[in-house]
Amino acid sequence: MNNAIEAVGLTKRFGEIPAVEDLCFSVGRGEILGLLGPNGAGKTTTARLLAGMMAPTSGYAEVLGMKSDRDPETLHRSIGLLTETPGFYERMTALENLLYFAGFYDIDGRTQARRYLVLLGLWEKKDQKVSGFSKGMRHKLALARALLHEPEILFLDEPTAGLDPEAAQEVRSLIRGLNERGRTVFLSTHNLEEAEQLCNRVALIRTNLILVDSVENLRKNVSGERIEIVLENEGAEIARTLRVLPFVRTLSVTDRILVVETKKGSADTPELIKRIVDSGGRILSVKERSQSLEDLYLILIRNETGKNDA
Amino acid sequence: MRKTAVIANVMRKEWLLILRTPNNIFFVTMVPVLVTVQFLFYIWLALRLAGADIIMDTVLAGAVDRFFSSFEAAASGTLDPEQKLLVFFFGLFPLYGLLIPCLVSLSFATFGIVEEKMTKTLEPLLATPVRTSDLLLGKALAALVPAAVMSFICAGIFLLGTVVMGKGPLIGIVITPRWWIFLFVLSPLFSLLTFMLGVAGSARAADVKSAQNFAVLVVLPILGFVVLQVLGVLMFSPLTLLLLAAALVCLNLIMLRISVRIFKRETILTAWK
Repeated sequence: MNNAIEAVGLTKRFGEIPAVEDLCFSVGRGEILGLLGPNGAGKTTTARLLAGMMAPTSGYAEVLGMKSDRDPETLHRSIGLLTETPGFYERMTALENLLYFAGFYDIDGRTQARRYLVLLGLWEKKDQKVSGFSKGMRHKLALARALLHEPEILFLDEPTAGLDPEAAQEVRSLIRGLNERGRTVFLSTHNLEEAEQLCNRVALIRTNLILVDSVENLRKNVSGERIEIVLENEGAEIARTLRVLPFVRTLSVTDRILVVETKKGSADTPELIKRIVDSGGRILSVKERSQSLEDLYLILIRNETGKNDA
Repeated sequence: MRKTAVIANVMRKEWLLILRTPNNIFFVTMVPVLVTVQFLFYIWLALRLAGADIIMDTVLAGAVDRFFSSFEAAASGTLDPEQKLLVFFFGLFPLYGLLIPCLVSLSFATFGIVEEKMTKTLEPLLATPVRTSDLLLGKALAALVPAAVMSFICAGIFLLGTVVMGKGPLIGIVITPRWWIFLFVLSPLFSLLTFMLGVAGSARAADVKSAQNFAVLVVLPILGFVVLQVLGVLMFSPLTLLLLAAALVCLNLIMLRISVRIFKRETILTAWK
């Protein structure tokens, strides 16, 4: 059994409204899969279904070889869950909170709590009530809570949401470290840069699964490269000429900068430059720009919206 | 993981949180004492302001007679009207005292669950291997123990109060098997029932106050029983009390099933607001 997670036709409806529909994907052991999608796309529902917090309407999910909704209590010994807004018992200290949660596992709670409080830089604050913790400290404490029992799979829902850049970077390093030590991570995020930095593959959902692939493959398959051309003269008129060319996929113009996406990427660049010069453009520079995950995400979501509208 | 260790873990946390909340400490300790003292105070006040003879001229006379003819026939011959009235009033205390475990349980149930909702701790809690039944049992026992302890303390305060009032010699007549059934059988059963109703109320409530409003449903029948007994309409013999206990056991089992259903992971995540 190589996959840590396997979703087959996973569907969840609330009444007549589908939250997720017919999801099929797998996550290999030791992999970080990023789950992307706009608000309301079903990311949290997917994570909850996989973590055995909900039963699917149809289809199933196997996590570590177990049907996720069959015996969630057993499954929960092997998974850790970090929710987007991690709640704590405010009148209890950080250590008391961790010891309480550790009390549900067969572990040495004190040793494990100490280990993760030290690792996350919270040991000095262990006797402080959580009510006085900053958002960053709460996120770290929530991560410590999710890790206490050394789970094989971590479900992380927006692990860096609302954190300052330094704290976010620390959390990302920690996730990377955990993955390097063999943990499988299912990361639900809005932060595409984060997904790009951390994930081996990303899955894009919008109720249905749009695709699941590595960022590199996405770049190759979804879209060509972009070419950024800086002109000496105004670009608006030239842009009008270029837009009608068959090999131009998208084109945007800001003052004197044209950003063009062509079908064959760099192979189309000479022809593109020729057409610009023919149209009276005076070129100052030409630069090939690979697309960020954010660009790809927007293209895919736009395509999907177009399909649905059609 | 041993079930007992999980339940003990839940109980420890519930107590820790209650102890760190001054309002709840007050509610769990002082309110039952006030309920007890208030009961004694009203008896004292009634006798001081009206006197036994005037009270015995009211509808209560019939109730007192029925009370003595039902249970305390042997003692009635030797008592004067005031003593009879006092024994009657003191005999009401165990029934009235059922309010104490209810109030304590209610406080634990609503605080323990609404607090989890408000602090968003239920989702991470339900992501642990804890079983719903163990979680609820831990919470219920965390409520039951102080509810029982406060019932015993208040019973002690009541008996002490009767001695302070100079009516100590009547205690022997008042403490009958009915007392023990109230204290050791009905009190824990009502405590559990209130807890389950508190769970049901808390599931729909956004804050502690609204949850308590719902669970007040259990307090109303108790007050109703008190009124019916004062009017002499209903007299609880040990047998009727044991039948009531059996009915409560059934009701508790039904409520437990409902509570476990309400406390399903999916219901909490999707239906609890």
